[in-house]
Amino acid sequence: MATLSSLSLVTTRAVANVPDTTVKVPYLNQPWKRVSQLGCRRMQAFRAVRAAPDGISEKVEKSIKEAQEACSDDPASGECVAAWDEVEELSAAASHARDKNKDSDPLENYCKDNPETDECRTYDN
Amino acid sequence: MAVCTVYTTRSLNSTCSISTPSKTYLSSHQKQLVFSSTDKRTSRRGSSPWVINCSAGDSQTVVIGLAADSGCGKSTFMRRLTSVFGGAAEPPKGGNPDSNTLISDMTTVICLDDYHSLDRTGRKEKGVTALDPRANDFDLMYEQVKALKSGIAVQKPIYNHVTGLLDPAELIKPPKILVIEGLHPMFDERVRDLLDFSIYLDISNEVKFAWKIQRDMAERGHSLESIKASIEARKPDFDAYIDPQKQYADAVIEVLPTQLIPDDNEGKVLRVRLIMKEGVEHFSPVYLFDEGSTISWIPCGRKLTCSYPGIKFSYGPDSYFGNEVSILEMDGQFDRLDELIYVESHLSNLSTKFYGEVTQQMLKHADFPGSNNGTGFFQTIVGLKIRDLYEQITSTKTAAPLEATKA
Repeated sequence: MATLSSLSLVTTRAVANVPDTTVKVPYLNQPWKRVSQLGCRRMQAFRAVRAAPDGISEKVEKSIKEAQEACSDDPASGECVAAWDEVEELSAAASHARDKNKDSDPLENYCKDNPETDECRTYDN
Repeated sequence: MAVCTVYTTRSLNSTCSISTPSKTYLSSHQKQLVFSSTDKRTSRRGSSPWVINCSAGDSQTVVIGLAADSGCGKSTFMRRLTSVFGGAAEPPKGGNPDSNTLISDMTTVICLDDYHSLDRTGRKEKGVTALDPRANDFDLMYEQVKALKSGIAVQKPIYNHVTGLLDPAELIKPPKILVIEGLHPMFDERVRDLLDFSIYLDISNEVKFAWKIQRDMAERGHSLESIKASIEARKPDFDAYIDPQKQYADAVIEVLPTQLIPDDNEGKVLRVRLIMKEGVEHFSPVYLFDEGSTISWIPCGRKLTCSYPGIKFSYGPDSYFGNEVSILEMDGQFDRLDELIYVESHLSNLSTKFYGEVTQQMLKHADFPGSNNGTGFFQTIVGLKIRDLYEQITSTKTAAPLEATKA
């Protein structure tokens, strides 16, 4: 009973979101896939906002591929050199981001800005 | 030149009172005392703890330049240097989180990448690296460093390393010590003349390769070939624009592979040379036993036991790019605390304030890279030398002593 109702709920949502039904028929037939797609998309958006090191790591990877492509045409050209310089810059940024995340203690960070709160008070005598 | 004196309410007519600044540290361009008249009856009873700091008219900002290629230890050096002066350097609070600037009580560290005239896409279009002078705005760099040195706050652009774009400017107030670190602090002659002291970190190719491998192998996408290709591609620009700056530096820290281990390719044990220019104002080079002579010293022996490969020191005068220099060299590693203190007690002219200060500073940051070899050791020593230089400069510049009366 519950499954039937959830099925109908999902299908109506799918219909509302997708104006062109001819292309998206498989979605409608398999509504559980639709739900998971929505869920994934939400997760992805969340990740992009949060990702300092993840984002930079991907940038590093992408820049290395681009540099290798640029240099396959002409190793001595300005584009090749600039591309590898970009790789170096992003690798340095990634390394700094890793260091920053490595020694960031959430309590210490909070107490730096709010030393008067109960958790952060220190008594020296 | 402005002269400042402090009055308590008793020395003035009773209708005037001086407001105390709530912060003890005023930015050095403030030149006026604030007077406000209040009713005598409502003025504070009893003690009047008036302490007012005024700055002298001409600046007391000491400017230090630090040049090194990317991935060569500038950040570690900065942390050691700010630690010598006390306090940790933090990015400016409430500003752009991707700011490259670090601020502590006494020092402000500015990254010269902020003066890029071309952002990442601009450089890609023109086919130009960040090492190329065409990608940097030296006029702006000169104007702003000059302004900060004269005690005027500036709006400095921010280069965001993550996005590769130039972000809106941030306000930088003139500090007591301004450190400019980056690829080109000594490239432009006008900026070079503003520097009170300059340092160049010269890392040899083998060591640079080993360090970059350590840094980058954890990243997905990087391989030995890509790291090597990156270094090779940047080498022509580096040799043309960055490397020549070492002839202008007052102190060069040169890092080479060790000579103690034959055929060593791990790069763990390092041979570090501290090349100090002679005749620099307010800077007296560190020496071993006898200034100006040539010494070779192995401290390990009867009084001190070292583990393999041991430690080897040498000191002597030399000529470096046509300048008279003194070179202090250390090859090997520190394994124990007593090795460190033993070595420190035999060096002279370290500008320490108490016995064992270098050792104490090294221990304070034992987790920093290079804490067991010459890189950390010489960086700490240069930090103490800079402190000494700062104290000498500020004591000569204070024409009229400030009187701070505390009732």
